[in-house]
Amino acid sequence: MAGRVAIVGYAQSHHQHDIQMTREDMVFEVAKGALRNAGISREDVDTVITASTDFLDGRTISNLYTSMAVGAYLKDESKVEEDGAFAAYYALMRILSGVHDIALVEAHTQGSVVNPHLVSSYTLDPLFERQYGFLNDISAAALQARMYMNKYGVSEEQVAMVAVKNLMNAADNLNAHRKMPDVTVEEVLNSKLYYDPIRELTMSPVSDGACAIVLASEEKAKEITDIPVWIEGVGSCQDGYLRDRSLYKLDSLQKAAQDAYGMAGVSNPFAQIDVFEVSEKYAHEELMIYEALGLCREGKGKTLIEKGMTGKDGEIPVNPSGGALGADPICATGLIRVVEAAKQIRGEANGYQIPAYRALAHGQFGICAQKNVVFILGSE
Amino acid sequence: MSSQSEIVLTKVPVPLVAGFQWSVGELMEKFIKALADRKIWGVKCPECGYVYVPPRWRCGKCYAKLGEENLTELSGKGILLSYATAYVELDGAGSFKDLSEPKPIGAIKLEGADSTLFMPLGEVKPEELKEGMKVEVVWREEPKGELADIKYFKPAKR
Repeated sequence: MAGRVAIVGYAQSHHQHDIQMTREDMVFEVAKGALRNAGISREDVDTVITASTDFLDGRTISNLYTSMAVGAYLKDESKVEEDGAFAAYYALMRILSGVHDIALVEAHTQGSVVNPHLVSSYTLDPLFERQYGFLNDISAAALQARMYMNKYGVSEEQVAMVAVKNLMNAADNLNAHRKMPDVTVEEVLNSKLYYDPIRELTMSPVSDGACAIVLASEEKAKEITDIPVWIEGVGSCQDGYLRDRSLYKLDSLQKAAQDAYGMAGVSNPFAQIDVFEVSEKYAHEELMIYEALGLCREGKGKTLIEKGMTGKDGEIPVNPSGGALGADPICATGLIRVVEAAKQIRGEANGYQIPAYRALAHGQFGICAQKNVVFILGSE
Repeated sequence: MSSQSEIVLTKVPVPLVAGFQWSVGELMEKFIKALADRKIWGVKCPECGYVYVPPRWRCGKCYAKLGEENLTELSGKGILLSYATAYVELDGAGSFKDLSEPKPIGAIKLEGADSTLFMPLGEVKPEELKEGMKVEVVWREEPKGELADIKYFKPAKR
């Protein structure tokens, strides 16, 4: 990368269903919180990038109304209509351009405002898939899960083990929404079926929440903090539309990860990355993510979960925070992964700290994880 | 920040209602009209050979422009790439309602096509669904040249 950029501050909400706060208050709290965490003021910020989805917000060009809440008044500002992790990528580029030194990135969704699964169906081709009425992110994930499970002989129990791991991990995370310290595979497999094989506990909960980070150029980062979290690599990739991609693997995530590894000089992610925070909107997706990230061979994600290798005490802990299954305030979810990865590097993951010098954060957007972004963060 | 659980904020329902009218495009129009004759058109990319169904004007894979001359008729038979069973459906107002009877749905690859069709399945029980199963289209009794002419897919006769 041309110059170095670091995360120097962060904040997130206590994600929950129906948070008792207006959207603007929620945004204000995390934006102000991230500035406070960095020890800087609104005046120090050069550019503000936000992320939310207009349809989920129920407003068009929704940043017009939240711009003052996020601290963008009379500043350079732009919005990403997807996950906040993409907004972080955008902010990184704005700093690397040399035009800006300090960026505030904020992302939010109040999933309780409107059923986000209904909104997902509006992302489909209006002239075809949408007309049949049954297709949405959950039913598409069910078709993806079944295809993946059949192809590689993955059992429902193995998929449920991902949910058990993440929901138990969420119990240790103050900010998580769905905490289930005693959950069992049986309980997951007995939870309500939506679209077989997807059940209530193998899909992410509908959460309200927000998240913000402060990014700074190398020079500013060193002034601001003694514990900068450096962005060592980043990659982002878009797959084809649902009809025209291989659903049993995450090609765009694989490409995004390869780009990020290349930039960070990572040749063996299993050995060189200490902790992973990924956006698994469905339990089976986490197994697919292991494979796309190159942590195991194609179809062998089940082995990692079965052997406990991705547990908190495993070789390659994945989602010690509880991941998206623990809380999914949609547009904030990927940015929360960036924060959780940064917390691990700063040694601030109280209750679920992994000794970490280098961490990976992943965000996604679109039905069946059509689009993906990967960050490699480090302390050096 | 505290969750402020003692406070319950008042909510106002604010609907977001708008009608949209999209142009279907010429190839899609042909596709829809051909359904009246129980025909399914795809389009084959002259450069990479990928067959899109429903047809599209451009190949996203190799970025070639496609046209009417690239239309290719598909048989209406294919295989089941994947399947799922719906136990709920969205009621249109934003809630899930439980279905009185589970409905099977499928991801289908038509013979000679590369795109995946997502279709309801009929005349089959959820437990009979199998990957690789041969399926075929079931037409509405009197097709009118509308998407609804394709009622569902069912297991193909051997």
